[in-house]
Amino acid sequence: MTGFVPTYRRRPSPLHAARAGVASAFCAALCLVAVVHASPLVLGAALGGTVAAAAAAGVASELGRAARLVVPLALLLVAVNALTSREGETLLIRGGEVLGWRIDVTLEAVAYGAVAALRVTVLMMALALFTAVVDPDDTLRLFRRVSYRSALTAALATRLVPVLARDAARMGEAARCRRTPPPRAGAARAALRSALDRSVDVAAALELRGYAGSRKPALERRPWSRHDVRVACAAAGIAVAALAALAAGAGAFEAYPELTLSAGAGEVALAAALLTLPVVPFAGAAARLGVARA
Amino acid sequence: MPRRGWGWRVPDAVLGADRFTYAYPGADAPALADVTLSVAPGELCVVCGASGSGKSTLVRAACGLVPHFHGGEAAGDLEVGGLSVRDHGPSDLASVCGTLLQDPETQVVMSGVRAEVALPLEHRGEPAAAVARGVEEVALALGIGHLLDRRAETLSGGELQRVALAAALVTRPRLLLLDEPTSQLDPVAADELVSLLRRLNEDWGTAVVIAEHRLERCLPAADRVIALAGGRVACDAAPDEFLAWVARGGGTAEALLPPLARLFSLAGLTPLPLSVKEARSALASARIEPQAEAAAPPDRSPARRSPLARRRARRPPAALAFHGVWYELRDGPAILRGVELAVAPGERVALMGRNGAGKSTLLRHARGLLEPTRGAVERAGEVALLLQSPGDYLIHDDCLEEVGPAGLASAGLAGRETSDSRDLSGGERQRLALEVVLGGGGSQAAADRPPPAAACLDEPTRGMDPARKRALARRLEQLAAAGTAVVVATHDTAFAADLADRVVLMGEGVVIADGHAAEVLGGGWHFATDVARVLGGAGGALTPEHGARLLERELVA
Repeated sequence: MTGFVPTYRRRPSPLHAARAGVASAFCAALCLVAVVHASPLVLGAALGGTVAAAAAAGVASELGRAARLVVPLALLLVAVNALTSREGETLLIRGGEVLGWRIDVTLEAVAYGAVAALRVTVLMMALALFTAVVDPDDTLRLFRRVSYRSALTAALATRLVPVLARDAARMGEAARCRRTPPPRAGAARAALRSALDRSVDVAAALELRGYAGSRKPALERRPWSRHDVRVACAAAGIAVAALAALAAGAGAFEAYPELTLSAGAGEVALAAALLTLPVVPFAGAAARLGVARA
Repeated sequence: MPRRGWGWRVPDAVLGADRFTYAYPGADAPALADVTLSVAPGELCVVCGASGSGKSTLVRAACGLVPHFHGGEAAGDLEVGGLSVRDHGPSDLASVCGTLLQDPETQVVMSGVRAEVALPLEHRGEPAAAVARGVEEVALALGIGHLLDRRAETLSGGELQRVALAAALVTRPRLLLLDEPTSQLDPVAADELVSLLRRLNEDWGTAVVIAEHRLERCLPAADRVIALAGGRVACDAAPDEFLAWVARGGGTAEALLPPLARLFSLAGLTPLPLSVKEARSALASARIEPQAEAAAPPDRSPARRSPLARRRARRPPAALAFHGVWYELRDGPAILRGVELAVAPGERVALMGRNGAGKSTLLRHARGLLEPTRGAVERAGEVALLLQSPGDYLIHDDCLEEVGPAGLASAGLAGRETSDSRDLSGGERQRLALEVVLGGGGSQAAADRPPPAAACLDEPTRGMDPARKRALARRLEQLAAAGTAVVVATHDTAFAADLADRVVLMGEGVVIADGHAAEVLGGGWHFATDVARVLGGAGGALTPEHGARLLERELVA
């Protein structure tokens, strides 16, 4: 399962160099598009923008890992909606009756499922982008002033996932080295015991770093870098464009009873904005300067 | 505990124990009993003792984990930087002492190195600028500046341990406590860590208390050695006095003698040396220059012949053979590059080489956990493989269930039938896991199966005290005598010299040297035992016993 989850690694890109709050806002803006719009044109552009930003940030392969999970999920969503929805007027396939349930596939149901799948895809890809470009430690630092211990516990969990995955792989190898295969229950108990031992050891390490006496961290005021500004502007641009288009009634999409898709100048303009704004922070020489440390 | 000397004030002890006694919850006997000691600021103290002597408990008591984290009962006084551990928990004591425990993997809490090092300062509510400065300073001081932007999961064990050390030191504690910090590291990383501790102690005056098995690494840097036995302080003296105490037969502490001190002790030479340099200098002063001619001729029994001679000799088919084995990662480099190697039944082979040389990968191929991308592995029968974490093999509630009575006896654990495997020491766990892979399994059917054609062990001596290492070597010799080929991947040259009759050196996925142990370990630069370094490989002497025989002949001459 961990093979589907993108991992964060520092890379020399403006998105990695931007502060966690700003980079998170950038990904949140892309999510916002998927939440407020249902037009396939707009969602497709948002997906294109997300992938373009990922490619520019050097994490396209990380999104590819997430896609291995997202694409089958999206296809499943389309299939389930097509088979279970009884709405729509354009019949594509007339199926039989199964357990008293009439199985007809309509164009509208397929389209509705496809749009829902696209929406989920955009959301999950934006989250994958967030995982790949935002330092989890910095994200947790954002929340520490709100709830220090909860944020730290989340940090621990984040850290323990790969450690426990490695432990599990090692224990699997050890099981293959036994001359007689270990009983399943025993192996499961040993794995659980090992995970608990690990947790106790990490808790001890945390105690030794002064966890019990921890105080709320001081407020950090850092000057904004050019990358912070550019990524924040792009995030704001995406959010404003999405909300403005919504207010203007652009991007309308209705699946039932029959397909209604608005594809006027407003939608085209929004789609163009969603394709270009995510890559704006990466454009020009300024984006390439000052990211070597990132 | 302020003290006064000849009219001037003696600085307070940074660590002071007065009849401190502690027992773990439910334990029959105390882990520490009547411990009285004192560590002055700027001192470097080594705490030693056999497995289970109380070293780790002493460190855990000094940092407050005992009794606050582990529970149990404590009596007497133990003060760290003026704070009593009975009244102050680990978080209070963290302002006075930094602590580093054994396992690097569980010492690092955060995902990124910078966040990890910053964490203790953030816990104290330090302003961002102070945190940034603290992180930068400690990173530069410990030479981990280049690691600050790395993720924890991308670091090696040695790097993780240095990062954990930085996190322990970032608050600039007066005392640094370390519990076998090198036990999970390879010798190069371990030597680097000890050098770092020495520099910390000398340059910044940080008092260091280090619990360690491998005394040869730490003794040259130590101001004092505290030996524990059965939870009590058995010796508290300067390093040279400590060695003299051990040589005089200080209790059951003979196993604590480092190889060079043991060499001199067996040869009847005094004083016992703390380092290779001291040993060489002492021999030069005494005009002892061992010559190769003076040594006994190398044993040319079939098992000890050179590989060429072995190839020429009539021999049975190999117990384990690698024929041009390649292992190439799909998206990465080749880990093994055409390895040719054959191990005869009953042969004892030490597989050596730096980290990443391909040793562990080769052993995984031996067992069949990995398949070669090219070439073939030939096995005369089953191959037993014990990987680096023996705890992974132990899945039952008690030891008897793991291996049955016969296996328990072979592991030297008779009488521990009902013990939980987690309560065993590292060395005991290693031997129990070895019996599991050799056949154990607790069932009669498993016990009746023939012994494996080959037994492969990956770094089996990590965290083991010398006595346990010797016991493991004897067990492996028994196996070899019964016809099982033994292949041990190890960084431990002393263990390789004690066990192996053949040493194979690997580098970059290929075999770069293959010969008799005396040839490979006697003339090496890095891959040489301390005894070989002192005696210059004369007579092929690698072990203290062999070297002492050589020195005795010189002395008689």
